[in-house]
Amino acid sequence: MKYETVIGLEVHIELATESKIFCSCSAKFGGEQNDHVCPACCGMPGMLPVVNKRVVDLGMTAGMMLNCKINRTTTFDKKSYYYPDLPCSYQTTQWFAPVCVNGAVEIETSKGKKTIRIKQIHMEEDAGKLVHDDWTDTSLVDFNRTSVPLIEIVSQPDLSSAEEVVAYLERLRTLLRFAKVSDCRMEQGSMRCDVNLSIRPEGSDKLGVRTEMKNMNSISAITRAIDYEVARHIDALENGTEELVQETRRWDDIKGKSYSMRNKETAGDYRYFPDPNIMPVVIDDAWYQRICDSLPELPELKKQRYITELGLSEYDAEQLTQSRAFCDCFEDAYAVCGMAKEAANWLISDCYNILNKKQQTADMLRISGKALGELIKLVAEDKVSRGNAKKILSVMFEQDIDPLAYATENGFIVSNDTGAIEETIQRIVAADPKSVADYKSGKEKALMALFGKCMKELKGNCNPQVLREMLLKCIENA
Amino acid sequence: MMTTETLQRLEKLNQLCLTDAEKDTITAFFNQQADVFLALNQINTENTERMVHVMPILTVVREDREIKLFTRDELQESAPETYDGYWQVPRLIE
Repeated sequence: MKYETVIGLEVHIELATESKIFCSCSAKFGGEQNDHVCPACCGMPGMLPVVNKRVVDLGMTAGMMLNCKINRTTTFDKKSYYYPDLPCSYQTTQWFAPVCVNGAVEIETSKGKKTIRIKQIHMEEDAGKLVHDDWTDTSLVDFNRTSVPLIEIVSQPDLSSAEEVVAYLERLRTLLRFAKVSDCRMEQGSMRCDVNLSIRPEGSDKLGVRTEMKNMNSISAITRAIDYEVARHIDALENGTEELVQETRRWDDIKGKSYSMRNKETAGDYRYFPDPNIMPVVIDDAWYQRICDSLPELPELKKQRYITELGLSEYDAEQLTQSRAFCDCFEDAYAVCGMAKEAANWLISDCYNILNKKQQTADMLRISGKALGELIKLVAEDKVSRGNAKKILSVMFEQDIDPLAYATENGFIVSNDTGAIEETIQRIVAADPKSVADYKSGKEKALMALFGKCMKELKGNCNPQVLREMLLKCIENA
Repeated sequence: MMTTETLQRLEKLNQLCLTDAEKDTITAFFNQQADVFLALNQINTENTERMVHVMPILTVVREDREIKLFTRDELQESAPETYDGYWQVPRLIE
């Protein structure tokens, strides 16, 4: 019998805020254990939550990027949860009126385009971290992550393969990074997902027994887990190897197996009820409009504009629009230098190489686009050689500098003193008669050796074309 | 309606240990409440806006600014057990 897979995802995204969702503690990743905590996020008696406005801003932004309807009155609810990583014995989340509902996102797969419906996006607090200590036979609690703001994006069960899941997650990641909702770094847990999966005979409209795999935080692990789980479900149905039950499972990526964790709770078990400590959040017209106005141009529209209006190749436009930071830097640089192709080349090649060496992603680009534009102008106007411009670019990654001032202060301005160039060439040519003879006998490489020595002597501050012409003239006369 | 099975499940979830008398009282109480809700369900609320809160007031929101108000040591002063900056609790996983 042929089966089809039915998958729905719950994707948790940590929001790019400075502070936590209900208190002013730092929301930064890491830090010394329990250094980002206060009585509110430690659940001490009498502490009351105060909603971080930026969390609502980012929740709405995510919703608009995913074509959702925004609930203009949105409320918070308590979800019962007994575990010491959330000290109140409940998680503050949204159940009855989440901030966004009924969205859709289009993905591209090998079979073409497909629309995945979004059921809802809700805002909630993250849980803390537990360390199970074998020495003391106790559990150790770190509340740094407790109350760090999250949105949970709940899809309808519209996905039917690991390939579609990957395409969906990558699309979410691109859109949310573009809108600066989150850095979506799976390795740091700022994007993780729960996979709800079942199988059914092809063509059937009845859903099979659903299992949930929680807290998946790598795309390759998600792919392996889905493939394993589909095979397990089919084996259970066809060969009766086990009875499928609705449950939560844990994926062990090293062993390549999933394990039962617990029977799946249903919504009723969580006993959601409206949080009496947080009044409804009402999004008025001005607030709603402010978020609408702040939305970025979608990456695919940007790409098209770069090709048609700025004359970039499809490849360059594609590379740039992988990251909002690259696009912002490119547009600022282009506004200054007016050379789109040059600006794209510097970003895609030189900036990308520096980021790679620093083991950073494109979204971590922090150089000023205006300064990059100034640097490109200096090279185009032959005021700084390309080699020295690369050195200046490296400095721009470390500090905020004015390229012209830096080039002047550090002797990187190309010399127009032809007398000094002539003197250097004559000295190097006189000292290396063998290379001169080699070049004259047809060895082109010998010219490059002499050229290199001259350029080194002049510390790169010489127009390469001028140097080459003067060098050839000198060799001719030698 | 509250059934024996539902109550057993809630008892387990809440980590309670109820006596038979308590179970009877709770079951009777919930079933009485269920009757009230059954009566309420008879009312047509199709065009009624959902009540989001009993008080007609809105929440106060704050700007996204990080403020450190307490040190870890201050917060852990009242903790029964700590270890190396962590709160220490009975082991959760066997």
